[in-house]
Amino acid sequence: MTDAPTTDRWIRHLNLLQLVLAGIIIMTPTVWMVLSSLKPSFEVTAYPPTLVFSPTLENYVELMKTTPFVSYAVNSLIVTIGSTSLGLLFGIPAAFAVSWTRISWPAILTLAARMAPGTLFLLPWYVMFRQVGMIGSYTALILSHAVITLPIVIWVLMPSFDGIPRSVFEAAQVDGCSVTRILWRIALPLVGSGVAVAAILAFVFSWNYFLFALVLSNGDSKTLIAAAFNFIGEGSTQWGALMAAATLIALPPLILAALVQRWLVSGLTLGAVKG
Amino acid sequence: MNARMFAARVALPVLAVVAVSAQASAADFDWKKFQGKTVTFLANNNPVSQALLSYKADFEKLTGITLKVDGYQEQQMRQRLVTVMNARSDEVDVFMTLPSREGEQFAVSGWYADLSAMSKNEAATDYDLAGLSQALLKAGTFSGKLTSMPMNIEGPILYYRTDILKKCGVEKPATIKDVEAAAQKIKACDSTITPFVSRGLKPAVAYTFSNMLHNIGGSYMANGKSNLCSPKGKETLDTYSRLLRDYGPPGVVNYSFQQISALYRSGRAAMSFESSNELRTVMDGGERLKDTGLAPFPAGEAGQVPTAIGWGMAVSAYSKQPSAAWYFVQWATSPEIQKRMALQGIAPPRPAVANDPEYRKWIDAEPVRKEWQAALDVLATKGSSEVGYPIVANPQSREFIGQAVQDLILKQKTVDQACADADKELDALIAQK
Amino acid sequence: MSDAAATLTQDRQRLELSALSAPAVIFTVAMIAFPVVYTIWLGFQSFSSTGQQSFAGLANYAKLASDYEFWHGLWVTIALYVLSLFLQLVFGVWLALVLFHAKRLPGIVRSMFISPFMMPPVVAGMMWLVILDPSLGAANYILQSLGLPPSEWLASPTWVIPTVALIDSWQWTPYVALIVLGGLQSLPPSVYEAAQIDGASPFKTFQRITLPLLLPTIVTAAILRSVDLLRFFDIIYITTQGGPGNASNTLNIYGFRVGFEFFNIGYASALMLTLTAIVFGAVLAFNRLRGAVAW
Repeated sequence: MTDAPTTDRWIRHLNLLQLVLAGIIIMTPTVWMVLSSLKPSFEVTAYPPTLVFSPTLENYVELMKTTPFVSYAVNSLIVTIGSTSLGLLFGIPAAFAVSWTRISWPAILTLAARMAPGTLFLLPWYVMFRQVGMIGSYTALILSHAVITLPIVIWVLMPSFDGIPRSVFEAAQVDGCSVTRILWRIALPLVGSGVAVAAILAFVFSWNYFLFALVLSNGDSKTLIAAAFNFIGEGSTQWGALMAAATLIALPPLILAALVQRWLVSGLTLGAVKG
Repeated sequence: MNARMFAARVALPVLAVVAVSAQASAADFDWKKFQGKTVTFLANNNPVSQALLSYKADFEKLTGITLKVDGYQEQQMRQRLVTVMNARSDEVDVFMTLPSREGEQFAVSGWYADLSAMSKNEAATDYDLAGLSQALLKAGTFSGKLTSMPMNIEGPILYYRTDILKKCGVEKPATIKDVEAAAQKIKACDSTITPFVSRGLKPAVAYTFSNMLHNIGGSYMANGKSNLCSPKGKETLDTYSRLLRDYGPPGVVNYSFQQISALYRSGRAAMSFESSNELRTVMDGGERLKDTGLAPFPAGEAGQVPTAIGWGMAVSAYSKQPSAAWYFVQWATSPEIQKRMALQGIAPPRPAVANDPEYRKWIDAEPVRKEWQAALDVLATKGSSEVGYPIVANPQSREFIGQAVQDLILKQKTVDQACADADKELDALIAQK
Repeated sequence: MSDAAATLTQDRQRLELSALSAPAVIFTVAMIAFPVVYTIWLGFQSFSSTGQQSFAGLANYAKLASDYEFWHGLWVTIALYVLSLFLQLVFGVWLALVLFHAKRLPGIVRSMFISPFMMPPVVAGMMWLVILDPSLGAANYILQSLGLPPSEWLASPTWVIPTVALIDSWQWTPYVALIVLGGLQSLPPSVYEAAQIDGASPFKTFQRITLPLLLPTIVTAAILRSVDLLRFFDIIYITTQGGPGNASNTLNIYGFRVGFEFFNIGYASALMLTLTAIVFGAVLAFNRLRGAVAW
């Protein structure tokens, strides 16, 4: 057997090496995208690819000038925040109830929507929302995106609620608290980080989803992701602006990821381990 | 609209030409008739609609109609249109359409409003219906119904590098055989240059392939059967795929206009067979301005039969306000607007506009534009709008053409196998009613 | 407290709990019941190319059996699924172990490691499309600079599935890693200590102790990825649209194209429902597997 501290050091070095390797693989494409967005438009597809170039913000300026980028972003924000809120509003009590009763079918039901291809919903939802005159409204988009956010909230929060010892609830019940009151007053404050993770994940997945908005929105309520396709068009493909748009669109999820990464491991994984 | 009013609008000014100026008769037309209405326009976000919509404010001022624009890239636009139409929704009043692709299918599905009557009776006096390209109008007419008004004329043309041709001692190709010979010489003379590039992406192939097929003298159908295995069909399949396989860029089977234009624009292709609409993209940055020549695709045994199509503007059959919608369509396809769009590089579907002095001046400003217009003139006079099979399921027929070409580029089948397999699928498609 | 009172409280409690999950249940049913019923109805309709719509019975489903593209799409779906899932599980476990042993990682670095799956798939697709372009992209340039032969990546019928699987794995391996990392962290430290006292090598420890204990977590990750991978759509929609030829034409892409490019809504509905049934079946099967490996 070799000297233990030496082996340890080697293992640590080896681990560091693997860490760096993984980091490079994971980060290179993203870095490349950001760099491309800072190149003059036609240099993006230059070959050999230029590594040394004078960075310019012209793609971003062009983007802001030629597209209502900001109003698309506002649309995306409204839809995303709306659907995340709705997901939390419906999801928190449901997760609590499922965790309490151990009757899991409501949680599985909300997941069922994820098993069908998104395209299946396009025409029926269009027909449905048209009946009530909601095509192009934020409401229709928020409702459709809540189908994505609801299961996320439930499945992330269930195990967090599971983690609270039963005795806490029982004590409250003896004091005459109703179940609803226990949820809002006692249980919810105990799963704060879980709620944060659920909210962020719901936000990210809602922000990133494009298919529903293609059909349910219109010129006024189009989301950023749905509008992103417009940068590849006949006679007007602007690779630079495309990369700039891609960078800006990816920014909010990435910032949020950085903010919650601390809790993400525990929040996300508890759900997976026990779900 | 009754006959008397029609006479008042069209016939009277002709009779009273001495007394009433054309100006006054134009003023008779009430552009403000639908003031306060809102018309929704589903647009394909391409240069044609971009040029048009740069005058959106003028339309709203002229008519008092509010124009709501919903713009998407072509595929997403179609996706949205299919949903809207299947739900029989009145949400969209006006949409852009490619009669050469989906015209017949949309027409039998009853998605287009019939514009025949409105284009005659409800048009402004200076609309000049007869001045629109008759070929394009015909291409947009199904079972006697005029379904869309042409917005532009376009087609694939050959972009070639004059400097590289010169360097490699190649003449400007005059025939398809010349194209291949030139490609061969260029390949030998400068290995860093892609000699020839065109569309290889499955659904996109038909656009350029049809041009070559017609030049060679082939036809898609004969006696109600698919005709790809005819000698000329096979020759076209063979030539088209050989050009791309032996002289095209790696990965050409994923190439459509984006990649083709990027490759040519960056100076890495000697010949590019791509849409006339791509001129602006190709000239972006100005590097190709001085070394590019343009021409219709060189002749085959049947001479030059270029593909000439156009985007059309259609009124939805489910629109609740077809007349207001028509106001937008006629404004958008009027001589005045088409002239202004032409000055932004949108080839006009009106021969008269092409001869307009102001437009000529714009054309003459750059040699490239001159050649571009000359090529478009050939397209306008000799062009065929047949892209893919002249059947209802045209969009699907393009898949099988593309599949056959890709099978050959990728050397997965022999020409005989590829054409036979495609013919089998296409015969089934033709038989489908 | 009397029995009657206790029952009353229990009834009340049950009612309250039902009321808590009611909004989520009602909302979900309201949103998905109509689409499913409507799609089932559409699946029985025939939309002929002449625009007529008629009841077709099971004709659309009968067509599936003899449709080469359907079977090919099924094969592509499964091939892509198996390959992607394999890559993501193997590298996910690896990355989780690496992250697990790197205890003191600055937050910003850690968030870098999870960034790919936070990125919109549309953006990831566009980004990779530019990088992997055989003639214009950076990937081939790097390969050639290293003296390796260039690849046609997404344009090669042979390589398109591995390439798409690689893109998806780039995006979702960190997600799997995160789930597995949570599993690792929840393992009692005592099992490692026991192994160390026995003098087992790190590899043996992993193989004999960690991996079996992690299995339920890994199966969970597999379920979560299966749901998405069997419905593979976004990346292909952006990059190849099912090409070259039909080499990457997954069932989901095929169904989409039949409906929205070829305008055959009836047949597209049959395709989409069949795909839904496949996903559902896979989830059920995995759920049983999880029961078998749970500890």
